[in-house]
Amino acid sequence: MADLEIRNLHVRVEDRDILKGVDLDVSKGEIHALMGPNGSGKSTLASTIMGHPSYEVTEGTITFRGEDITEADPEDRAHAGLFLAFQYPVAIPGVSVANFLRMAINTRREDPINVKDFRTRLQHAVDLLDVDRSFTSRHLNDGFSGGEKKRAEILQMAMLRPEVAVLDETDSGLDIDALRTVAEGVNKLHAELGMGALIITHYQRILHYVTPQFVHVMMDGRIVIEGGEELVERLEREGYDPIREEVGARA
Amino acid sequence: MPDGVATQAKPAVKPGAHREAILYRALNGAGAGPAPVDELRERAREAYERLELPTWRRSGFWTTSLRDLDLDALIERTYAPGGPLPAAVAEGLPRGAVAGRLVQHGSTVIRAELDPELAERGVILCALEDAPRELVERYFMARLPLDRDKLEAASAALWSGGAFLYVPRGVVVDKPFDVVYAIDEPGTAQYGHTLAIGDEGADFRLRHFKLAPDLDGPALHAGQVEVYLEAGARCRFAPVQDWGEGQVVDVSTQVVQVGRDAYVHWLPSYLGGSLSRQHLELSVAEPGGDMAFRGVFFAERDEHLDLFAVDLHETGPSGGDVHWRGAATGQAKASFEGLIQINPGAQQSHTYLQIHTMMLSPRAKVDAIPSVLVSADDVSASHGGTVGELDEALIFYMRSRGLSRADAVHVIVEGFFEPLIGELEDEGLEELVREKIGEKLRAAAADVEAYAAAR
Repeated sequence: MADLEIRNLHVRVEDRDILKGVDLDVSKGEIHALMGPNGSGKSTLASTIMGHPSYEVTEGTITFRGEDITEADPEDRAHAGLFLAFQYPVAIPGVSVANFLRMAINTRREDPINVKDFRTRLQHAVDLLDVDRSFTSRHLNDGFSGGEKKRAEILQMAMLRPEVAVLDETDSGLDIDALRTVAEGVNKLHAELGMGALIITHYQRILHYVTPQFVHVMMDGRIVIEGGEELVERLEREGYDPIREEVGARA
Repeated sequence: MPDGVATQAKPAVKPGAHREAILYRALNGAGAGPAPVDELRERAREAYERLELPTWRRSGFWTTSLRDLDLDALIERTYAPGGPLPAAVAEGLPRGAVAGRLVQHGSTVIRAELDPELAERGVILCALEDAPRELVERYFMARLPLDRDKLEAASAALWSGGAFLYVPRGVVVDKPFDVVYAIDEPGTAQYGHTLAIGDEGADFRLRHFKLAPDLDGPALHAGQVEVYLEAGARCRFAPVQDWGEGQVVDVSTQVVQVGRDAYVHWLPSYLGGSLSRQHLELSVAEPGGDMAFRGVFFAERDEHLDLFAVDLHETGPSGGDVHWRGAATGQAKASFEGLIQINPGAQQSHTYLQIHTMMLSPRAKVDAIPSVLVSADDVSASHGGTVGELDEALIFYMRSRGLSRADAVHVIVEGFFEPLIGELEDEGLEELVREKIGEKLRAAAADVEAYAAAR
């Protein structure tokens, strides 16, 4: 049984059916890529996995480590070990990165984390992400550049140590250095903690730095083709159109 | 609320705005004094007999009325000097050392403590009744009127005890001076008067507390505060009003006069009072004066808070920077009117007013009304602001990191106030204000939840 199991998931947003029966398994220690053209439902899947209240599950289930979490609150999913790196991280004015992380960590513990442990963990994450330590005293995402926001997402991921992380187009809009940093972050957490990842991307770029074992392609709210690394190469060569035609011919 | 820039040479009075102009008007230096205390008391007593309890009305949308206040049911209470501190004071003050502390309990100054070293250097902190006459008569009520309404007259006629602070020329004091007014019995009428003077080049902090426990019954505080800063003086002035959850009415006027090249950072925190009407006026009276006029308010339950803040420039060049933030829960009503007034001849005055508000309940109401009266042509005066609601995207983001919804709301509201609270530059006081706001949010959690669900 996979850690994260998605079965026949149908999701509606503002009276529009976006996901139309998605099946997907992601386990700890596995790296998955979910690719697909814009508007295919990739981000909807990411938000639904994390429990966004505007996304209505009309059919199907999401199970995490044996528990049905289809209707669970986002914070309960986070505590269970899920993480979402947002495509568009929002600013939290007045709250520093470090303070926010301390709060988030403490929601997972009986007693607040002690100062020394927190510092050690933060330093480790800061080194991993190749950011300046002063970064953590800035207000979270407030006035951050696009690249800084994405680094901050990965920094949070490194601090919160999820079992399975969903990265929603974390690579879009990044320059090559930031992209490499983000990818290295994922690779290290994968190697050190056995974190599982579902990397959602429109492009192939990030997959030059993180090698997925499983690749899924989504179109019009369904996963239409699955495979290994070779699928990335094929997409790079041919784009989405041939796949779309194949799928159309099958249907 | 869009930014507005006013450059007209004469005040524009809109049709129908007449009443507003009469009732929400800058004092503009129109003080009853300076004059001997007894003489002003006598004039105030006559006004008190003559005047009715006030109602302030603005444009039909806002009324603050004290018509129902039963003055006869309230008495002035005296206590033994040196007696025990009321619990609201013992528990309600920030931690940390002070340069001096004066506590008025009811009508009696029960404590007036001052660092002896500062006393030796000429600093005075004592009951206003006991203050040196020549200093009092030079400043007393120089900028405070006494007959705009019955409660103002009552305060000017009936005050006893009072607080007097004098920081002599060139004396710099790091630790704060505390002036505390406490009420701890229902049925109390307290008339307060604080006079603080920073002589040339003085540099000090004044914290001004108004405290009560959750009283079971009505009480009244009618108070006047005046702060005068002479040339080059600098002051951080941090008043805190927290009258608890009882029926405490507070009608007060506070004025700060900034002299030549002087500076004030004035940041009041309004954290409780069932009905408050506050006239706060900061006047840059001499060239080169500069100021930061901040404010924080949080109204809850069925509190009614009426704030009128004036950023007055009597001469130029002068600077101003007004920045207020307020929130409301429950069925609270808060109104903040901010007036920028630049007088004729106050050339090269530059000022900006911003007011940010946040509604945390469907039944709460916060009005923010900036206005600008400019009578000089080489100036800049503008205003801006925001009306904030809880941002669901932000709440989801924090929940995805493991915070509960209530914690996420707390973070947002704390973050909303933080830019100003951080400016207090006083750890103990910052902690106190943050804690108070946290308490109010926890008390209103169900309300905030209902508000989110309704949208």
